[in-house]
Amino acid sequence: MINSEGMVAETAAKIYTDLCGREVPHEAEAGQYPQALWDALAENGLPLAWVSEDNGGFGADYDEVFGAIWVSAEAASPVPFAETLIANWLLDRAGVAIPDGASTFALLDGNAASVPFAGTADHVAVYDAGKNAIALYKTADGSAADGQALSPDSDTRLDFSTATPVASAATNLSRRAVEALILTVRAVQMASAIEAALNLSIAYVSDREQFGRPLSKFQAIQHQLAVAASESAAATMAATQAASALARNADDPEKAWHEAVVAKVQIGHSVEAVTVPFHQVHGAMGYTQEYDLHHYTRRLWAWRDTLGNEHRWSKLLGAELAVTSPDQIWKGVTTGAWIAS
Amino acid sequence: MQRFNFPVVQPDPALEELRSELQAFLKEERDAGNFRPEPECWMASSDTEFSKKMGKRGWIGLTWSSKYGGHDKTALERYIVTEETLRAGAPVGAHWIADRQHAPMLIEHGTEEQKLDILPRIAAGECYFAIGLSEPGAGSDLANVKTKAEKVEGGWKVNGQKIWSSGAHISHYMVAILRTSPADGRNRHVGLSQIMIDLSLPGVTIKPITDLSGDAHFNEVYFEDVIVPDDCLLGEEGGGWKQVTGELAMERSGPERFLSSYITLETALHQLQGKLGSDSQARLGKLIANLRTLRGMSWGIANLLHQGVSPETEAALVKDLGNRLENDLTLQVRALLNDLPEEEWSDEMRRILNIGILRSPPNTLRGGTTEVMRGITARQLGLR
Repeated sequence: MINSEGMVAETAAKIYTDLCGREVPHEAEAGQYPQALWDALAENGLPLAWVSEDNGGFGADYDEVFGAIWVSAEAASPVPFAETLIANWLLDRAGVAIPDGASTFALLDGNAASVPFAGTADHVAVYDAGKNAIALYKTADGSAADGQALSPDSDTRLDFSTATPVASAATNLSRRAVEALILTVRAVQMASAIEAALNLSIAYVSDREQFGRPLSKFQAIQHQLAVAASESAAATMAATQAASALARNADDPEKAWHEAVVAKVQIGHSVEAVTVPFHQVHGAMGYTQEYDLHHYTRRLWAWRDTLGNEHRWSKLLGAELAVTSPDQIWKGVTTGAWIAS
Repeated sequence: MQRFNFPVVQPDPALEELRSELQAFLKEERDAGNFRPEPECWMASSDTEFSKKMGKRGWIGLTWSSKYGGHDKTALERYIVTEETLRAGAPVGAHWIADRQHAPMLIEHGTEEQKLDILPRIAAGECYFAIGLSEPGAGSDLANVKTKAEKVEGGWKVNGQKIWSSGAHISHYMVAILRTSPADGRNRHVGLSQIMIDLSLPGVTIKPITDLSGDAHFNEVYFEDVIVPDDCLLGEEGGGWKQVTGELAMERSGPERFLSSYITLETALHQLQGKLGSDSQARLGKLIANLRTLRGMSWGIANLLHQGVSPETEAALVKDLGNRLENDLTLQVRALLNDLPEEEWSDEMRRILNIGILRSPPNTLRGGTTEVMRGITARQLGLR
């Protein structure tokens, strides 16, 4: 579940309410990093929520941390809270000491990796599936290529071939276990951002008048947002289902892989189905930097690329299903048991 | 704060055992040639012998008391039965509506005598009901119904016409929404009542309507001075509108809203296992992810309804998404089948695919059109 009532989620909600009002993501993009927001999260130990008690964290349940991640995405968090949670989860499980400050994560492919929040996070925990190892680098040590970013936190390709890690360790985490965690965190962020943008759209069309009445009174507008709402509800379901699978399989996150991939595919494909109507009903206002909509839509466009886009993952899932019996596929659809037991 | 809430409910071993029993029965029946699978089977495939077999096994009337021939189980058991029969494309159309809708209505509003008389026959798979909502002038604009019931000594005299009544030709009763008193000015929602009509009464005429494929599973039903006893008015006189919209909201999120065409995919998968190319694999991955997500929503809502919570917005969203998915599924199967040379397609595959295509138009119409659903959602979102 995505539990908004636990201590971690409630603390995060209070911090984001107090320190991440609607102006904060705007200010962050103008170069004014909300250090106070990060400091409050860090002082309360929230980035260590998934770190074991032995390693200085509080080993919180998945559910309530997902509640906190939901809140951070709703506020279009300009600080890498979810990313640090993932990095620290990886480092903790590999037995690497958790560095202070903000971190991010990546999966190595070749010498390089796609790193979210590369310009903000101090460190990056890089998982190398080939070597079954986690290495911790300073993000500044990776060499980045120039390019146009989709969003302030979107992936940057960093090359680590000449960098020396701060620390590294072998891990028994499988690639699928790592993917399950990362995809589920992203699914929760995306479901939250879709809902936040839906709420923004509802408020906008209720307020904005044309032809002498609010846009919300036009059936064409109502139906566009009704369809977007159905996609939003489906995204919430898919994210919740993935979060629950992880919570149930805390000892063996690899078992949550299929539900995480279902969420990735479901939500990744729905991004277009929601961002198009959201922008359409906002008219040109939604295209400006001044207005808030892009805080969500740009992040959605970036997040759907995490670990590869929805087409890649549809194919990965489908390749497995293509050699699975129809009985087993039905079992997966109805019970979430995707592998024959 | 999350706007939409869906509980994630884990499979229950007892329910999974029931599922296995259903699967074994359905396979046996199919292998014996007792039915040929079809898409949209809950609306368009009826076989009264099959319904009686389901009744004998105890798979109709799961949700009501054994005092009335039921099986003292819950809507969750019923959910498993319905999704397995849909997956198999089994001929469940005869008893579906009575089991889903009218038996619960009788339990709430019927007399003790009616319950003792009718409910055991429904549970046995022997007594069928038709829905009497639409009229020639009242489709999406349901409040425009004109069929009248006038108070007479000891009962009601019914005159008018219902249309699109699936299964009326094999049904014993219809529950119709009728005007029992005039509208109050512009408020047409008052003065409507739900009345159960024995379709064998004098003055009832049932005329089949042939659909575009040549099947005749829906009907026009005419009433000419039909005298219905007093106790057949179900619920409150004049309270029909509220009762009907409440019922519709309850039934929008069931498995028949997104699994009606699953048999088409199931049949294709048997042929395509291990043969799909790269593009098709991606197509299949997306389709199954969509199905898994919708099943999660539908099952989550079933569990909320079971606890007495009625999440109306979420249910309307499931119907809109599910109906679109049902039609999309058939189209995706057409694309997947390109990976198999046409001479290798089984005759069964072609038959099921063609039925699925021909039966696709009503998916987005029945139980409230997509446009009506989106209107309901818009109201829930505060847009109207």
